[in-house]
Amino acid sequence: MREAVTILLPVVLPALAGILLLAAKEPERKGVITWYTGAVLVATAVLVAVCVVSVNVPVTFFYLLDQVPVCFAPDHMGKVFALVVTLVWVPAGFFSFSYLKGGKKQKRFYGFYLIVYGILNALNFAGNLVTFYVFYELMTLLSMPLVLHEQTREAVMAGLKYLFYSFCGAYMALFGLYVVWHHSGTFVFTERGTLDPSLVSGNEGILLLAACFLLLGFSVKAGMFPMHGWLPVAHPVAPAPASAVLSGLIVKGGVLGMIRVIFYTFGADFLRGSWVQTLFLTLALITVFMGSMLAYLEKGLKKRLAYSTVSQVSYILFGLFLLAPAGLTGSLLHVIFHACIKSCLFLCAGAVIRQTGKQCVDELTGIGKEMPVTMWCFAICSLALIGIPPASGFISKWYLCVGAFDAGIPVVSWLGPVVLLVSALLTAGYLLPIVIRGFFPGQDYDYAVCKRREGSAFLVVPVVLLAAIALVGGMVTGGLTGYLSDLAGQLL
Amino acid sequence: MNPVMIMTMSPAMLLVAILLPILGGIILMALPFRKRRHMEIYLETIVIITSVLVWLILIGRPAEGVPVVKFVNNLSLSLRLDGCGMVFSGLVATLWPLAMLYAFEYMEHERHEKIFYLFYTMTYGVTLGISFAEDMLTMYFFYELLTLTTMPLVLHTLTREAILAARKYLYYSLGGAAFAFIGLVFLMVYGTTVDFTLGGVLTPETTGDKTNVLLLIYVIAFLGFGVKAAICPFNSWLPQAGVAPTPVTALLHAVAVVKAGAFAIIRLTYYAFGTKFLAGTWAQNVVMGIVIFTIVYGCSRAVKETHIKRRLAYSTISNLSYILFGVTIMTPAGLVGALCHLVFHAVIKICAFFCAGAVIHQTKKEYVYELDGMGKKLPCVFGAFTVSSLALMGVPGLCGFVSKWYLADAAVSGGSVMMYVGVGALLVSALLTAIYMLTIVIRVFFVEAHDKKMDTYRDPNWQMLLPLAVFLAAMLVFGLHPAPIVSLFRDIAAGSL
Repeated sequence: MREAVTILLPVVLPALAGILLLAAKEPERKGVITWYTGAVLVATAVLVAVCVVSVNVPVTFFYLLDQVPVCFAPDHMGKVFALVVTLVWVPAGFFSFSYLKGGKKQKRFYGFYLIVYGILNALNFAGNLVTFYVFYELMTLLSMPLVLHEQTREAVMAGLKYLFYSFCGAYMALFGLYVVWHHSGTFVFTERGTLDPSLVSGNEGILLLAACFLLLGFSVKAGMFPMHGWLPVAHPVAPAPASAVLSGLIVKGGVLGMIRVIFYTFGADFLRGSWVQTLFLTLALITVFMGSMLAYLEKGLKKRLAYSTVSQVSYILFGLFLLAPAGLTGSLLHVIFHACIKSCLFLCAGAVIRQTGKQCVDELTGIGKEMPVTMWCFAICSLALIGIPPASGFISKWYLCVGAFDAGIPVVSWLGPVVLLVSALLTAGYLLPIVIRGFFPGQDYDYAVCKRREGSAFLVVPVVLLAAIALVGGMVTGGLTGYLSDLAGQLL
Repeated sequence: MNPVMIMTMSPAMLLVAILLPILGGIILMALPFRKRRHMEIYLETIVIITSVLVWLILIGRPAEGVPVVKFVNNLSLSLRLDGCGMVFSGLVATLWPLAMLYAFEYMEHERHEKIFYLFYTMTYGVTLGISFAEDMLTMYFFYELLTLTTMPLVLHTLTREAILAARKYLYYSLGGAAFAFIGLVFLMVYGTTVDFTLGGVLTPETTGDKTNVLLLIYVIAFLGFGVKAAICPFNSWLPQAGVAPTPVTALLHAVAVVKAGAFAIIRLTYYAFGTKFLAGTWAQNVVMGIVIFTIVYGCSRAVKETHIKRRLAYSTISNLSYILFGVTIMTPAGLVGALCHLVFHAVIKICAFFCAGAVIHQTKKEYVYELDGMGKKLPCVFGAFTVSSLALMGVPGLCGFVSKWYLADAAVSGGSVMMYVGVGALLVSALLTAIYMLTIVIRVFFVEAHDKKMDTYRDPNWQMLLPLAVFLAAMLVFGLHPAPIVSLFRDIAAGSL
């Protein structure tokens, strides 16, 4: 009972608070909404921490279908994801207080922002595949208002695109779900898989097909080629804090889904050496390269970052499909680091857009003189994303490459690292020029027009905080890496 | 259970339940009502009494049948209530009083109100007749009667459009019934009995070497009944019949009439020809193929359609074929899925139609693109519409997910390639459903309004909102706690009820 309450609180509190906010009348003083939201965010963060520390047993709530309960089971994997979500969601929330100030429909934004926080917590704690699926669909539906917040025609179309791609993915996953149910009789997440060997023999073909559909379905959220089309459209049109969490965290919902499918439902042994593994390794590598290339060619700042997400999340997926301990460790590290780095980059971009109105990369000459703190953070995160030591991205990419060699898959074992490195080069190509021109505008730059445009503390502190994590994460990773290696070892 | 609590009803009450609304409707014409209010009270009383009676019959179900008219030999009109009939009659009995309440508000400004209510009430009795029918002949009788009593309702507005729609409805339905009649004749000749028997009435001794002929006849009869269930290519009457007032489209063309078609096919497949005879034959593949095609076809047309009611009608076409897909799996699990969707889709679609009707009634807007930004002005109506959209898509926690689950589960257990294709069709259709329903929802809530009269629009009164609330509650309850109703369906499919 105590566990049930502890685990429900971080889900129910923000969700209820959000619903309450949506239902309430528009208050006369806008400040009330931000205070309320801030308080709920902090309280939820504390509750998540408490839950992570104190709950270790599965909690079953009710039966959605006969034999299929809605149940929460915070295991190590779920806890890692839950902490990452909290680490980013709360700072991005505080950032939005300043970012959205004076904007329309703040109440609706904060309402859905809080609800989705609760849903994500539930998603991370989900103890079986159906529970996961329930909250996965809810996440899609309820994060949609964040995407089309601006209500321009472009934003609405992007929202629709987001929705329909996501549902397409969800229904593909559902197909897999039906088949898995028939061949395992349980959905409970179990390390190394839950398939019933007596039901599996003779049905490997259809099960692999089911695995393929499940993974393809979840890969939509993770923005993997060929289902990435929505991501560069939907992420940039959202307000910056929403883009940050969409790109940093919501995509990780898809990653978690794939982890749950590979390691907790089918088991790595079932997939190792199959055509599914080959297919997804190939798709992931294509996406890594394609995303970077498109980002390199893109001129819009936020859109460039969105393409970068397409590429970077597929680093993670590549690591998963190696089905090797080092690869999985690298993936999990990259989940954490990419969440911080990419949210920070989006928040920086948001701060720049809000303070200067400049949306295009070419306009950003001299921005480092105007907003030094923000751009320093941007620079740090760029380095981290490229993977230059000692910043954090280096560690995760190191493990990914080691994993690729360890896995010993023909071609992939050398092609993988090559693609990752080429993509890193491209990452440098699309991020560093912004930084360089920002700080070194050249002789043509008119210093007379330059003035300090740094925003309020709400615009700066969250950015600094996330950048600090991105930097320090690469230096003091001993404990974290050890923990994640152990976790990976248990699954493989 | 305590035997004292349950008073077994006399079988004659079946006949009473059918005649009460039919006679009540006819008497309505003779009664001079000074106030509209009195007529409303009279009608609602008749309908509620009938529904209560039906529910009492369901609880204390008479084991015996009651012969009504005896023709020659073993041919008779006779009534008996079995498990499958319980589901349909229980569904109808629950929805009719609510639809009546809604109709009072909706029809307030329409002409020929009395004639409308005459047929609307009579149809109730006829629909009960279909669900109470003991044998094929009785069902056929009420089935034809249903066409005749509902035709005037389509005709109601007497516009050219309505006349054309009514004529089409009549031809399609009567034509379909004629095909079904062929099936009836063959069943009489080759069956051991004409009464509905779970598992079928054909035995190897009676069929002899006529297996293929009988399979052909099954397909013909399936298509015949399939006209009312709007399978492709016999579906075009349904969207066109949307010219009828919304209470008719909602209750009859989303539930009573079309579900009567699906119900008849359940009878034909599970209770007359029998799954043992049909399963694994070419006939199964043919009908399943048609049904799978219809699932996708209906949805695709719905995406293209901009008239709200017609869009929902196309959606109905697709969803009816979900039910029929369950039927054509031809296993008890398939029947469970079919019955689930029969009930759940009824609740979802009647809710969606009532919302659409409320919008038309309050704002006179009939097209999707006219709805921009209306969510603020009619929050209750569009809130209900949103929930029913989600339920129709099959978002977990609402009832659509449950029925889709059992349908897919049955199909995967069946294991043939065709069934896997069917599951794929269900999911493609779910995606298309998301597209055609959620575009409306997003328009309504997230697009700025540009209608000058926007400020004058508001939610309708309680008579329209109460049914919506009941349906919402039903969607949630069935979605979150489906175990009782599913185990009921299991018992029915296993023949123990």
